[in-house]
Amino acid sequence: MIEFKNVSVTYRGGVKALKNLTVTIEDGEFVVIVGLSGAGKSTMLRAMNGLVKATEGSILVNGTEVVGAKGRRLREVRKQIGMIFQTFNLATRTTVLNNVLMGRLAHVPAWRSTLGLWPAEDKERAFLALDRVGILEKAYVRASDLSGGQQQRVGIARALAQDPAVVLADEPVAALDPVTSHQVMGDLQTINEDLGITTLVNLHFLDLARTYGRRIIGLRAGELVFDGPIEEVDDETFREIYGRAVTPDDLLHEGAEVE
Amino acid sequence: MTAPTEAEVAVVRPRMARSKLVFRYGVTAVIIIGAVWSFTSLDISVERLRTAPGDIWKILRLTVPPDMEGDFVSRVFGKVLESVYIAWVGTMIAALISLPLAFMGAENTAPRWMQLPIRQLFNVIRSFPELILAVLLLPITGLGAWTGTLAIGLHSVGTLGKLSTEAIESIDFGPAEAAQAAGGNRLEAIRWGVLPQVLPTIVAYWLFRFEINVRASAVMGVIGAGGVGSELINQLNFRQFDKAGTVLLFTILVVLFIDTSSAAVRRRIILGGGTSESANTEVFRDLSGLTGPGLT
Amino acid sequence: MTTTEGPRPGDREIVPPRKPPRPWWYWAVAAAVIAFTVYSGRRVGFSLTSLKDLPSNPLWEKFWPPEWDWVFANAIDPLIETFQIAILATLVGCLLALPVSFAMSRLTSHNTYTYFGSKAIMNLIRTIPDLFWAKLFVTAIGIGAFAGTLGLIIFSLSVMVKLFSETIDAADPGPLEAAEAAGGTHIASVKVGVLPEVLPNYVAYALYVFELNIRASVVLGLVGAGGVGRVLEAQRQFFQFDRIMGIVILLFVVVFTLEQISVAIRRRLV
Repeated sequence: MIEFKNVSVTYRGGVKALKNLTVTIEDGEFVVIVGLSGAGKSTMLRAMNGLVKATEGSILVNGTEVVGAKGRRLREVRKQIGMIFQTFNLATRTTVLNNVLMGRLAHVPAWRSTLGLWPAEDKERAFLALDRVGILEKAYVRASDLSGGQQQRVGIARALAQDPAVVLADEPVAALDPVTSHQVMGDLQTINEDLGITTLVNLHFLDLARTYGRRIIGLRAGELVFDGPIEEVDDETFREIYGRAVTPDDLLHEGAEVE
Repeated sequence: MTAPTEAEVAVVRPRMARSKLVFRYGVTAVIIIGAVWSFTSLDISVERLRTAPGDIWKILRLTVPPDMEGDFVSRVFGKVLESVYIAWVGTMIAALISLPLAFMGAENTAPRWMQLPIRQLFNVIRSFPELILAVLLLPITGLGAWTGTLAIGLHSVGTLGKLSTEAIESIDFGPAEAAQAAGGNRLEAIRWGVLPQVLPTIVAYWLFRFEINVRASAVMGVIGAGGVGSELINQLNFRQFDKAGTVLLFTILVVLFIDTSSAAVRRRIILGGGTSESANTEVFRDLSGLTGPGLT
Repeated sequence: MTTTEGPRPGDREIVPPRKPPRPWWYWAVAAAVIAFTVYSGRRVGFSLTSLKDLPSNPLWEKFWPPEWDWVFANAIDPLIETFQIAILATLVGCLLALPVSFAMSRLTSHNTYTYFGSKAIMNLIRTIPDLFWAKLFVTAIGIGAFAGTLGLIIFSLSVMVKLFSETIDAADPGPLEAAEAAGGTHIASVKVGVLPEVLPNYVAYALYVFELNIRASVVLGLVGAGGVGRVLEAQRQFFQFDRIMGIVILLFVVVFTLEQISVAIRRRLV
């Protein structure tokens, strides 16, 4: 369970990215966070694993306080949270397997990982994670030689290899074409359903949010403006979240209907 | 078409910013004054300027044909090789020392309090030319190749450290962020998120430095710190110009061979794996642009 | 919905791909590099103990304290001479480099002979270290700053030509074509079509060459080519380590300062 209590994030320079946010996310949920760019979606996700420091409030991940956590305690929290990035964040000049093994860093003693002496069990987990996203045969290929969609699957496999309770996906399909976007969202959905991993996804395409989200959280200028199941969402909801009418730019498929 | 009014002219003619003009004229004035001052102070007469080309040509002509007598050739070749050994070992020492230091000096991999001293250390070391370092070391480590090796190794720590630090700072920090998000500590994030991305570039810098160091070590012999330099000085002092020609010939051949092969290996390393990321080609252009005695 | 287990071994039978073997030459190259390093290390007399004992060598005490009175009385004039050499060599070398660079660039060289000819000659000149040139000139025209200046002119020319001709290669060919299409002669077209685009780089490179020359000029005296190196060499012969230390510290301060100034100007230019 993830509990945000009165969380605010103020960046250096005074920008308030998140204002007094209080939200609870139950285990196994599939939550899509929507909002304009700059609304605080990314800040919300990154506050959960301490990549962004919350300036006020409390964030409990399975009972552990993230706000103010440092060093070993912070790494213990991060160990339970897998993260998937918009730009994949792969070490492109090394193999796919090495990238996926990064997900095992918190499970393996530092000296072993630093020397590249990964235990057999951790390698096995990396292979299983790759198999789950369907690119097992690419294990020894250089990451830069994969297509964008395949690279994002490596990113997903890296998060899975962590054996996480929660997966955070920060705009996972923003850099991908429509077909690949659906494949990647499908992968995330399967993981959530099969493994029961709590999944939070930032999206700015409203039709994708509709298709895959089961609960929608809407942010506007750092504030929570909507929180409810997908069934309660209609055009009016999006208009409220965005503060303007929905335009074709907000949709992955041109001509797709929001409602 | 009517003649433009004064106001219109003022609008269409942009002026250079005043500070920029002052800067430009200032620099030009300094250059001219410096040149005149230097020329008049140095002992260069028109008479000497007129005769110098002839004198130089005479000597250069005497170096051809070089003395190709077997024993002498093998001695010279051995000395050139010694210069190569000095350059190689010096580069290796510098590589080993500068690699960890570079990570301690880069702003994305080291805490702030650590960066500044390390960067300043690089700058200070870089300001001592190899030969000056060798002059200092000579009484301690004695005549011979080891002194030259140490001097080259030490100086290269500064240059390699600076270049490597810049390479580290220019990478995308995303992979390292991913490693941290997975619960890795700073060292692990560097090992898996940064090192694979920068190592090819840094190794290319090592090779590039090796090419420069071959020239630097050839010169070490001038003060007796090993290598082919002593041979050239001796032959010229005894006015054995054909033998000096042999020294020059083998220096040129070996330097050309090393430059060409090292550049080929560098290209392979940087562009390795068949990718053509723009960052790679940029680094490669930087490198090829500066080949030569520069970048010391 | 509270199971939070990731993929576990034994969930499913999978066949991981086999790690592709390293190509045959990988080990050959690795072995060759290691062997060459070890062999080189032995030839240059590499020893860890010598490295370890280096800082604690008692001889270092003879370097300290530097004999400042002597240094300020005897090293300042040669030091000034050093910088005069560097200034003059930079100026002449860079001016000479201007036409040569245009002859050496694929963009602006129309004559194949001058292109390949100048390229070959400059490559040849660049393989010979600067101090070798200085020594050659000392032998030909006698000891003194003139030989040193000539040596550094050759050095400046070779570095500048390399840097600048490659910048010209990368310049936009459009303006040149336009000028030639308008009926300009080749040289005139280069002047209006290419020169303005690459001139800022030229000035920045000239400053860079000046930095290199400052550092190179301090050692010219070791082969009799003038400047402060001459003093250094003389004191070296007499084992006056405290004077050597003084000169080296002085050199460091001046070289470091000049370099920082030059770097600051370069940053403003580009």
